Amino acid sequence: MKPSERKIQPPAMIARMPELAGPDITFLPNGVPVCKIASGKEDIIRADFIFRAGQVFEKNHLTSSCVNMMLNEGSEDMTAEEVNRRLDFFGAVPNFFTEKDVAGLSIAFLSKHSRKIFGLCHDMLFKPVFPDEELRSLLKKRLQWHDVRQERVQSVANDLYFESVFGSSHPYGRVTHREDFSLLRRENLVEFHKRHYSPANLSIVIAGNITREAEECLASVFGTLKAGRISPAQEFSLPAYSSLPRIEKHKEGALQSAIRIGSATINKRNSDYPGLKVVDTLLGGYFGSRLMKNIREDKGYTYGIHSSVSSYDQSGYMLISTEVGSGYTEKAVSEIHHEINRLATEPVGIKELDIVRNFMMGELVRMFDGPFATAESFRSAWEFGLGYDYFKKLAARIVSITPDEIMHLAKTYYKQEYFVEVVVGP
Amino acid sequence: MLSVQVWRSTSSEMIGFEKKVLENGLKVIVHEDRQTPLVAMNVVYNAGSKYENEGLTGIAHLMEHLMFAGSMNIPDYDTPLQMAGGDNNAYTNNDVADFYLTIPAENIETALWLESDRMIKPKVTRRSLEIQKKVVSEEFSQRYLNQPYGDAMHLLRKEAYIVHPYRWPAIGMELSHIDRIELNDISDFIRRHYTPSNAILTLAGNIETPMAFDLVDKWFGDINGLPGNKNPVMPEPVQQKARRISVERDVPSCMIYKAWHACARNEDDFRVLDLMTDILSGGESGRLYEILVREKKIFSEINAYLTGDLEPGLIVCYGKVMDGIVLEKAEEELQAVIRRLTVNEPRENEMEKVKNRFESTTRMSNISVLSKVLNLSGYELAGDANLINRETERYFEITSGQVLKTAREYLMDENCTTLLYRSANR
Repeated sequence: MKPSERKIQPPAMIARMPELAGPDITFLPNGVPVCKIASGKEDIIRADFIFRAGQVFEKNHLTSSCVNMMLNEGSEDMTAEEVNRRLDFFGAVPNFFTEKDVAGLSIAFLSKHSRKIFGLCHDMLFKPVFPDEELRSLLKKRLQWHDVRQERVQSVANDLYFESVFGSSHPYGRVTHREDFSLLRRENLVEFHKRHYSPANLSIVIAGNITREAEECLASVFGTLKAGRISPAQEFSLPAYSSLPRIEKHKEGALQSAIRIGSATINKRNSDYPGLKVVDTLLGGYFGSRLMKNIREDKGYTYGIHSSVSSYDQSGYMLISTEVGSGYTEKAVSEIHHEINRLATEPVGIKELDIVRNFMMGELVRMFDGPFATAESFRSAWEFGLGYDYFKKLAARIVSITPDEIMHLAKTYYKQEYFVEVVVGP
Repeated sequence: MLSVQVWRSTSSEMIGFEKKVLENGLKVIVHEDRQTPLVAMNVVYNAGSKYENEGLTGIAHLMEHLMFAGSMNIPDYDTPLQMAGGDNNAYTNNDVADFYLTIPAENIETALWLESDRMIKPKVTRRSLEIQKKVVSEEFSQRYLNQPYGDAMHLLRKEAYIVHPYRWPAIGMELSHIDRIELNDISDFIRRHYTPSNAILTLAGNIETPMAFDLVDKWFGDINGLPGNKNPVMPEPVQQKARRISVERDVPSCMIYKAWHACARNEDDFRVLDLMTDILSGGESGRLYEILVREKKIFSEINAYLTGDLEPGLIVCYGKVMDGIVLEKAEEELQAVIRRLTVNEPRENEMEKVKNRFESTTRMSNISVLSKVLNLSGYELAGDANLINRETERYFEITSGQVLKTAREYLMDENCTTLLYRSANR
């Protein structure tokens, strides 16, 4: 190879949006929607059971997460040991999750075990017994985890950020305190489970090599349950924007400060959201972003700095987060503000915008590589009542957005007066 | 180019691949997967922290950072990759430094151009060294010093090993070492370790095998193949006596860590030990969780794993003691569970369970092109890439008698190092 050839990048083109057919959405006889994403060579299935049973629905703090964490602590027909021995015996990989809006179970397993696994899922999701002794033990464990969390500047800063953005009485902003662990009763769990883990609140995403047996089994196990009532969503109002003073918390002996800067914002359902995703990526959404280049690669203040724009059902939020050496705290904060301001005042150069476009299109390809990744991506839109269209719009926006439009979005959504600034350090 | 191995896929469960060695010693493995729009690429150098000297550690990991700071003909690694829609990352452990990426298949040549240029010569300047020393120092603080229990593995390794360089984690023995690393330490490390004959390149994804080999030959074939001159690694003498250390720190609860010397990754006992640790702590039906967390409520969390190093590593077990339980009592109960493994054979259904779990997690990890590329090169490092297809079968051959025999051989008190991590508040 000639040395000169090594100086020039081989021709590279922008990735094409993957072709997204379907998905195939059907309804079980009791009305439960099932989204099927059939592909993949390996005989593996991933099934997601998603309930409207997240933290927004709880009256007593910690209820929704405790209900979810105790689904495998014994059912009407099986002890906790039996449930977990069976899950492990069939090599299933379960992931119980509680989010702000939804909660449930995502489970991966070999297709040949579908019948056994769906049976177990049914028992865990619909017939848990919540033994009182296990609840007390869980609360004790969680209190211990809570205490460890309080030792980490990252966790304390996250809590303060969400509390100040959404307000301490909003379920998106409510922070856990030590007292919460002594208030919860078994009746709270039983009542919450009965109300929210009903077929009426359930959606299923199933992906992978979906055999005929798996499909029939899914329908016979979950399609015959009585639907129950849909949980009405309670609307919560956001606190009025006020230029909050900076929130600081002292942490004795910390070597680093955790910095969190951001605000509430629009979510996926807003037509500006795809554009905002591009602005966010430019700012701090990938390794070559402005924040990473400036604060890590140019100044060495941190191991990492990231920004993100995320969606909840009733709101969205933007968040810049980093941990910096405690001597660099003020310099880092001021550089972050400098980069936010630049978004609205300087048009982005064509070369830099092209990198963002190409990187983001590559990400889109990765988001749909294989049935499990596709299921994950589809679910993230489906929960907002959206489908593949959301990703098509995002792709179109990535390719077409102009430097002026980026400045306009920055002016509209990155308003300093909306921003909360949290610093937790020595 | 020498063809050394061709493994054709004969069933949907097999991962077909071809392996060749270039004249300069670079090993190349190619696996075709036409279902993905991506290609994943992995370059692993036999350049881990075990080649450092005890007086100046952290060089191998710092070098991994510097691999992104530009090379012979290319000022910056990340920008061209992002421009081609690629995404990448890297890690360093005691044995190797590993660089991996995914990229839309049509842009694979950009990845080969970038990787080959930094294999010719990474370009390390005084400035890039100073910046990355700061970044790595922040990483050290963030992950090991400014975290509750963050220094536990530092303490445990230092006691478990007397002479072998597994005495320190890849990040380095002490923060002060990072600051003392100089430009000539780096160039020396590059000369010794970053050579083609010391690397394995693996490609997996939507690329035809002959074309993949042609492109690899084009970009890597003419790289100078001088053999590196690795530092010798001192073997660890057999431990003769139980070792115990105890520290007191400002953490919310007490933890117990135990480590037993294990065998090397490529020895037959390794698989038996792997099943044995899974019997202990695989899933919620693992013995440690079932007995010590769920039944007796002595620990709030507990885990066991094999470090999986190429040279003899460790079997590590660690648990967080439930509040109100005396540390000595917790250790006794933990010992009792471990001892049972050395007295009775595991139950047959336990054996079947851990084998099923190995099979299903292996199959699940082959669903993504990135994990396939990492698995192939991981197995090649352990001696043979084709273990990706044969390993499950070999696990199924293991008997409960072998587990008992192996447990007796390794889980002896005199082979064990214990760290009691006491909470100053209790």
